[in-house]
Amino acid sequence: MSIFNELYHYRELLKTNIKKEIRGKYKGSFLGVLWSFLNPLLMVLVYAIVFPYIMRIKQEHYLIYLITGIIPWNFFTTVVTSGCNCVWINGGIIKKVFFPREILPISVVLAALVNFFISCIVILLFLIFGGVGLNINIVWLPLIAIIQAMFSLGLLFILSAINVYIRDIEYLVAFFMNLVFYATPILYNASMFPENYQFVLKLNPMTHFIGAYRDIFYNQVAPNFLTLLFLFILSSIILVIGYSIFNKLEKGFAEEV
Amino acid sequence: MKKIDSNNAIEIEKLYKSFKINSDKPRTLKEKLIFSKNNRVEYVEVLKNISLTIKKGETVALIGTNGSGKSTLLKLMTKIIYPNKGTIFTNGKLTSLLELGAGFHPDFTGRENIYFNASIFGLTKAEIDNRLNEIIEFSELGDFIDNPVRTYSSGMYMRLAFSVAINVDAEILLIDEILAVGDQHFQDKCFAKLKELKDSDKTIVIVTHSLGNVEKLCNRAIWLKDGHIEMDGDVKSVVKKYLEVCG
Repeated sequence: MSIFNELYHYRELLKTNIKKEIRGKYKGSFLGVLWSFLNPLLMVLVYAIVFPYIMRIKQEHYLIYLITGIIPWNFFTTVVTSGCNCVWINGGIIKKVFFPREILPISVVLAALVNFFISCIVILLFLIFGGVGLNINIVWLPLIAIIQAMFSLGLLFILSAINVYIRDIEYLVAFFMNLVFYATPILYNASMFPENYQFVLKLNPMTHFIGAYRDIFYNQVAPNFLTLLFLFILSSIILVIGYSIFNKLEKGFAEEV
Repeated sequence: MKKIDSNNAIEIEKLYKSFKINSDKPRTLKEKLIFSKNNRVEYVEVLKNISLTIKKGETVALIGTNGSGKSTLLKLMTKIIYPNKGTIFTNGKLTSLLELGAGFHPDFTGRENIYFNASIFGLTKAEIDNRLNEIIEFSELGDFIDNPVRTYSSGMYMRLAFSVAINVDAEILLIDEILAVGDQHFQDKCFAKLKELKDSDKTIVIVTHSLGNVEKLCNRAIWLKDGHIEMDGDVKSVVKKYLEVCG
């Protein structure tokens, strides 16, 4: 597989790109990279104020239930919505320098993955101080996160490549993600969803990802490995399809951006 | 697949390249749907039936008027764009200096940007570490190297960018009009560096309009006119003929 050779050869570019994504975002601010940690914390704060008092959902430890859904969802949505134009905005260098174009979406996903792990510290803090406590099943976190990263990368390959040719994708994706957000049990419990439409939740891969995170953090049990296997197979298929689409379209990038 | 002759650095055979020209490009889905019928797509053939071989160690100048296809040919060699017909084979590590300062991030220091920029050319960390001192020395930036690039003057920016580009160790160097960088002193230094690279048996393809430099540096010139090769040969005779026709 020449793609792996190429990525290995350009590993320094991948590394500096990830560094730029993570550190460059907060460069010039007083707190710097600390914002990767503060951002999810402040977001949780907003939900902590709004939901328990306004929504009055009867869910035990609702705040923890909420953040174990919101933070993984944020990882997904950052990759897909803000990564969508990763090829387009790098048009300047694409037109002038040859390098494996795959590096662009891959570094978006890996940077988001690093940020997600930092955000998980926030989850852990809430688990410890929120009365739920820690348990050994947290060791499955990297596995679930990596499968989710594969899934997101597959989608991002497709979306970022098509977005170079049809710029509407970016806006359609923003709308669609909003829709999927409510079709995923993040704010509510799956049992609150209408009986007749339960299949919508079941067909949504994000339901199962969030479910796995909730198992290890909130329910304190091992994730359902059959579901994980299914997610892994699905993600692999999307990754392969996504990569082949990207590979087809990348030859025209320099002329289209 | 055909194997390239090991004495050749670049082999191009029967190459065609055309670009799409649409008067007002439909970018959005709406425009694509509505104007799908009366959307005139015109193609402009930029390169027609180009065949050439460049041997290892040759220093070749591509000359020609604006729009003759020189830069397009260079981009095809780099694999930034792909031909419509025909083949291009290259042999050896290839670096194209079409753009200075690619991947620079203004908020990072000059030193960090050396890593960003050099990594785009495919260098590994160890390779950059080895060249770091050489690059900093060549750029003559001194202590400014640890300041953010956004605080640089445009001259300093270009000097740093050129220093990285010229110190990337490649067997084939493709250069597009980037020699006019910095003050006279720095330009002389760049020219000397190119001469040194030439003498160390690198293959260099250079697109330029400064014919004086061409005659001093190159031993072969290719004159492109309207997308085909008008003349190919010894640098003195090609430049002389070119000046007679276009000068």
